[in-house]
Amino acid sequence: MSGIARKVIRYLASLVLIIILNFTIPRLMPGDPVKNLIGEDVYVSENVMEELRTELGLDRPLYEQLESFLSDLLHLDLGYSYHLHAPVAEILLDRMGWTLLFVGVSVVFGALLGSLPGALAGWRPEKRTCRITGLAFITLSCTPPYFLALLFLYFFSFRLGLFPSKGFYDSPEIWSILHHLFLPICVMSVFSASRNFLIMRGSVIQEKKQLYALYARAKGLNDTGILFRHVIKNASLPIITLLALDFGFLFSGALFIEIIFSLNGIGTLIYGAIMGKDYPLLQGAFLVIALTALLANMLADLLYALIDPRVRRPV
Amino acid sequence: MSPEAAHNEGSCITESCTGSCPEGQQKDSVFRFKFPEASLKKSRKRDDFLGQLNCGGIFLFAFFFFMALFPSLLAPCNPEERFLPYEAPSRDHLLGTNDIGNDILSELVYGARISMTVGFAASLVSTLIGTIIGLCSGYFRGTLDELLMGFTDVVLIIPKIPLIIVLGAYLRPSIWILVPVLGLLSWESTARVTRSKTLQLREAGYVKSARCMGFSSRHIMGSDILPNIYHVLLPKFMLATASAMISEASLSFLGLSDISMKSWGSMLSFAFFRGGFIQDMWWWYMPPGICITLCVISIALIGFGFETKQEEYAVDGEL
Amino acid sequence: MKARSGSRLLEVKDLQVSFQGIKTVNALSGISFSIGESETLALVGETGCGKSVAAHAIMRLLPPESRMNGVVEFRGKNLLELSEKEMTEIRGKEIGIIFQNPSLALNPVYSIGHQLAEPLRIHRKEKKEKALARAAGALKDMGFANAAEYIHYYPSWCSGGMNQRFLIAASTMLDPSLLIADEPGKGLDRKCVSELEAELKKLKVEKKTALLLISHDLAFVQRLADRVAVMYAGEIVEIADSSSLFENPLHPYSRGLLNSLPEKGFIPIPGFSPPLSSPPSGCRFHPRCPLRKKQCVETHPYLIETDGRAVRCFLYP
Repeated sequence: MSGIARKVIRYLASLVLIIILNFTIPRLMPGDPVKNLIGEDVYVSENVMEELRTELGLDRPLYEQLESFLSDLLHLDLGYSYHLHAPVAEILLDRMGWTLLFVGVSVVFGALLGSLPGALAGWRPEKRTCRITGLAFITLSCTPPYFLALLFLYFFSFRLGLFPSKGFYDSPEIWSILHHLFLPICVMSVFSASRNFLIMRGSVIQEKKQLYALYARAKGLNDTGILFRHVIKNASLPIITLLALDFGFLFSGALFIEIIFSLNGIGTLIYGAIMGKDYPLLQGAFLVIALTALLANMLADLLYALIDPRVRRPV
Repeated sequence: MSPEAAHNEGSCITESCTGSCPEGQQKDSVFRFKFPEASLKKSRKRDDFLGQLNCGGIFLFAFFFFMALFPSLLAPCNPEERFLPYEAPSRDHLLGTNDIGNDILSELVYGARISMTVGFAASLVSTLIGTIIGLCSGYFRGTLDELLMGFTDVVLIIPKIPLIIVLGAYLRPSIWILVPVLGLLSWESTARVTRSKTLQLREAGYVKSARCMGFSSRHIMGSDILPNIYHVLLPKFMLATASAMISEASLSFLGLSDISMKSWGSMLSFAFFRGGFIQDMWWWYMPPGICITLCVISIALIGFGFETKQEEYAVDGEL
Repeated sequence: MKARSGSRLLEVKDLQVSFQGIKTVNALSGISFSIGESETLALVGETGCGKSVAAHAIMRLLPPESRMNGVVEFRGKNLLELSEKEMTEIRGKEIGIIFQNPSLALNPVYSIGHQLAEPLRIHRKEKKEKALARAAGALKDMGFANAAEYIHYYPSWCSGGMNQRFLIAASTMLDPSLLIADEPGKGLDRKCVSELEAELKKLKVEKKTALLLISHDLAFVQRLADRVAVMYAGEIVEIADSSSLFENPLHPYSRGLLNSLPEKGFIPIPGFSPPLSSPPSGCRFHPRCPLRKKQCVETHPYLIETDGRAVRCFLYP
């Protein structure tokens, strides 16, 4: 089975798994399935419950429910949130953009911020500065992301008053947005950078022992040349794979950061949904997040294939 | 076992790194000089620094472990006892009191037990599952290998925290749910590493002769391959614990952890949501956060120390 | 031992290499040889005798924990005294090296053309297109019919034999006067080895490159080398020209090596080569020598020149 076919099957399988999970979880959970599907703490009378039961198709056999679920999905209908009185898809779409924006920017910044020092640290691991940076990044990566956010908020916003502490913007202008997003992006980037640093460092340490690095020196390259022309390209391959995983991880971290910084993205939405037990919203959010992670993985795989010729075959 | 094999796992500290290193990097025969690794002076300096780190990590960890085992020795009072709420640090209450009036220092000390238990338990589950899957996959190869690895890849893609959030919202949050779910979602990198080691060990002379002698697969896996994997599993286990602790802290922040058991994450959650942050009560939210960070660092340092020791053994064998 | 023809291109005098570590390992205990212009000298010996170390020492490619003593004169300059910057000028341009395991020596993520063109870009600061064109030309000279296609290939797409020839092309791109070949035929099948041999012969004849050939394949060496130096446990025990050595080996170790060839009887030398951290006293070969005397255990023999050859053995005082 060729590599590409295998990958495609893997992604399809993941897609199927995600959809099945999304379908079965509310139906398997203890309690009244209707409640599971509309959310608790929603006051409905008995007859409305019955109506909903038929509407949601809970009295129909399982495969029919699955069918209708899938067709709903294809029509981008993710259900209705009774708490917020709006279709889930709409709500998510609304808030998703912001979260994607700041996660996306953080991933890129984090990769740059972490990779370069990581490469240098891997090249000369005994240097004092590299050790100290290494320790600093280890510490950072061991901190729960929201705690880091709390500290940042405390120092930069409350104490120093440099940055606002709430919301995405005061007025919908680019400066205001940047001002507000600065701290959250900082926190996420630092967190992502710490992971990238450690991986790049380990990767460079491994790669510089390889024969091609010695051969590059034999061709007459000096240290900088070997590092930047040869080792880095090989060493950054794991980072690319990691970017995809990172995306999923950062997305989860973003939820917490949004809560801390009171940003109106998916994070606060989900938190509200947890508190209010708004299950349709939670499920819709999970589906969307999982699909985004899947897409990120596919993109990373594509990027990897572009860069590493070992997984390709001659045309 | 060749030193190349030891180096194949890389010396990164975050566990996700090793899990996602592409297959292409696991070369079977890397040309290496048969030279000793470091000069005497340099190796002493390096050993010193690493040794210091390792010692520091062990010491710190021992402290937290002690805190978890014997909280009553360190805590001034019972964490359930109520005093005046929202008090600032004073001589009676070194870290003040929270919104209900519990002494924060006592809560902190007792919280160690919960956080660390959840971390270790979840890590145990994930390491067990990962080892078994990795062993079977690496030993039997063929279709089983493809299936298991495909399954691993698929599970790897699903974002854990959102899934746990969804599950946690439905089910009543309890430690009996948190631990298995956390464990069930983080075995991928252990499985990958175990599989690659098993693949190598499978070709070793003693394994081949055991197969020739007709021992059952289960016996070979248990008594020939498994003991040789321990030194790889140990750092993975530690790193998995660190990761599980952070995940637990994150989940309890959202209120999805057991309410009856106050871990450090729950303390942070209460501090934030019950006005501790707004009112600038650093004595409430800083200590648990710092404790989590320090505890995770200590575990990570120990895991890192194991990895480097494993490298040293592998290199020393060659001269 | 002085080279026969022409001026001396490379002269190694009493080169000592040791590695600091938990135990100090003396990889080379004072070897001396020289190579003339366009001459091919072969270093033969068992694994672990220090042949590769010598090669890497000449180009200063040893890891930082190594200590080198002695003189390595290349065209009059002592390479061991040059700064790293000056050394980078010489590597690749005046002295080239090809490693065993060519598939690993080439960087997997860059195309063949890129890697062949690299020495041109670094040393002669040529532009990318021009360098690539020259790389294609070099491949054509080697005999690759569709050189333009191979330029865009990657090492992982090609076989070991092809990669070895690409490696030779890359190392000889700038026409170095000395090429060091560190076990070039290792891991290649017979057809590839004969192609390799043809390639090296071509270099010798057409480009007049001097060659330091390191190998343990005696038949290969016999066909290619002008002179042969036999190494054992970090020392040279015999140097002679190729025909003299193969017809009439003087040192017991050389005799043993030749006897172990399949056509001569396949008789192995008993015992194992000694660890370099603690070599035997006196003559290092004495534990395995069938002709040892009491003197061999106590005193260390010198390399004595007689008649165009040199031997390190008490049999020839």
